[in-house]
Amino acid sequence: MKKKILASLSVLALGGAIASAPAMAQNVKVAYLVAITGPIAGMAPTMVQSMKFAAEQVNAQGGIGNGGKLDPQVYDSGCNPQLATDAATKAVNVNGVIGIVGPSCSGPVIAVANSVSVPAGVLLITSSGTSPKISTLDDKDLVFRTVPSDDYQGRALARTIRARGIDKVAITYLNNDYGLGLAEAFTDEFKKQGGTVTASRAHEDKKASYRSDLAELAKGGADTLVVFAYGNSSGLTILRQAIENGFFKNFVGADGMRDEGMVKTLGPDNLKTLLVSAPAGATGTGFEKFSKDFKAAGGDPNGTFAATSYDAAFLMALAIEKAGGDKAKLPQALREVATAPGEPILPGEWAKAKKLIAEGKDIDYKGAAGDQEFDAHGDVPGDYVLYKVGGSGFAEIERMK
Amino acid sequence: MMEFLNFYVVPGIVTGSVYALGAIGITLIFGILRFGHFAHGDLATSGAYLALGATALLGLTPWAALPVAMVLTALLAYGIHRLFYRHLESRPKILTVIASLGIGMMLRSIVQVVWGVDPLAYGSGIARAQAFGPLMLRPREIATLALTLALVAALLAFLRYSKWGKAMRAMSDNPDLARLCGVDNDRVTRLTWFIVGALAAASGFCLGINTELTTMMGWSAMLSMFAAAVLGGVGRVEGAVVGGLVIGLAEELSVLLVPGPYKSATAFVILLAILLLRPQGIFKGKVL
Repeated sequence: MKKKILASLSVLALGGAIASAPAMAQNVKVAYLVAITGPIAGMAPTMVQSMKFAAEQVNAQGGIGNGGKLDPQVYDSGCNPQLATDAATKAVNVNGVIGIVGPSCSGPVIAVANSVSVPAGVLLITSSGTSPKISTLDDKDLVFRTVPSDDYQGRALARTIRARGIDKVAITYLNNDYGLGLAEAFTDEFKKQGGTVTASRAHEDKKASYRSDLAELAKGGADTLVVFAYGNSSGLTILRQAIENGFFKNFVGADGMRDEGMVKTLGPDNLKTLLVSAPAGATGTGFEKFSKDFKAAGGDPNGTFAATSYDAAFLMALAIEKAGGDKAKLPQALREVATAPGEPILPGEWAKAKKLIAEGKDIDYKGAAGDQEFDAHGDVPGDYVLYKVGGSGFAEIERMK
Repeated sequence: MMEFLNFYVVPGIVTGSVYALGAIGITLIFGILRFGHFAHGDLATSGAYLALGATALLGLTPWAALPVAMVLTALLAYGIHRLFYRHLESRPKILTVIASLGIGMMLRSIVQVVWGVDPLAYGSGIARAQAFGPLMLRPREIATLALTLALVAALLAFLRYSKWGKAMRAMSDNPDLARLCGVDNDRVTRLTWFIVGALAAASGFCLGINTELTTMMGWSAMLSMFAAAVLGGVGRVEGAVVGGLVIGLAEELSVLLVPGPYKSATAFVILLAILLLRPQGIFKGKVL
């Protein structure tokens, strides 16, 4: 008899626990939208791994809210606006995610924001879309990024080049969001600094000859050519043909041109007059902490977009915690947890952050890829370094302002 | 004036030669085997990379590696025919066309697996031009033009005067009639694939030595090659050569009139105009 009562009591208790579990421990779904297929598929594994790593840390250190877990769902964005929009639609409308980390590549970010996430009021944090066009989206403060806009790079490069005494340049850029964004930012800033842009022409990728394009560009009389393209594609061909035919004396490029294969192919001696800018490698205590933890978990902290992807995923979790899982409060919460003032939170310090948020204290996330202080556009500033060709690779000349 | 010749006409002719070598292969397949071969660009890519392989493995200079690559690519083209296209011969031609798209992707992927996706070159460093009077030419450009001329002349002579060349032309005119007259269609097909493969390798090699080797090089150039083949008249070798040169020149000269990104569109526009206005092409080829 006693046993029976005990048994029925425990069944009741169990039933009660099961019934009340969803109310107490609410799992929160977020989408990790990464270009697992497509042109940047090589970078995707590290990006997914670092995002998942952030989620694991969150769940290991107390999860979300009162016993809930972060439930990350990985989708393929294919670096393609169409695929990314389809995946985002499924994530938001079918699976009910409250935030999107990603998508990869600039074009998909713009497409997903315009047609899916902003209309649905879903927060989006991309870790790899760098086009300046993302800043000016009509996004109702729902689009953020943990990777600096190319606008910063274009402007920093223009100021640095101008400060080095170059006052007349011709620009050729790849006909896509990357090339156009850089060219516009560079041109604007270069003119503000009193420089002259004699010609600015887009070019098509993968052509056998750019000599006629170069001849047109050279007509303005500039002896410096600025190339916003990729050094493993049209940038290489353009540089080769410009040097071989003596169209220009000096060359300037952005991070796409910082390609060691290009130096090997053309020979370092021929590229003495080439200057390229590239984002400075992450440093600081935030990166060191992430680097140590991520390495211990079997990841490569220096992988392309590894640190920015981690930050995007971790910030998303912080914002959800701060907003108490309320979708509408996420953007405001994200700004509060990411920006100063507040108690500094380093990558992986989830338990500490959770405690402070519960106590109602303000926190300030100091991320793996940088401070992650968002401006009005939801952008973060970047640090860039100017390189020249040295040895068989690139050597740092100066930090750019 | 000299600027016009050196920076617009010379590159146009060099690029045009590359297109011409590719277009000859396309036009031969179109004429004799009667289908559009969409793996042709990637066959050219394979040839270019096989030449690179020969320089690395056998220690040959790039130009000495070219014949090796031509032979290997000829065998590769024939192998593809034996393994894939031959089984589709009696089916509607559209099946072979679509199959060739798949073959192209396979070839490209194999190249990517073996050599990687980063661009490579036959040699490092750069070659400045030498002056020939007012003309500025690089040795590799002269060699490209000479090679194109030699291959075209040899091919035309072969088609005109040799027994097998005549058989190829007969099969191009009417395969059934040719068979009735004792032409061995299988052997003509085999011969066609050997020639096509060798020419594709030459085309890819010339593209590679004048720029770089990338795994997408052939695929990107193929549209222009198809435009050249149609422009010259399908099935006409001399037409493919003229067509290639016209397309190459038109692409380079187009930047004088339209913005640079429309360079590739020039070939499209010419292709459309030809199909609308003169579908038989300049040299009266087959109407598709």
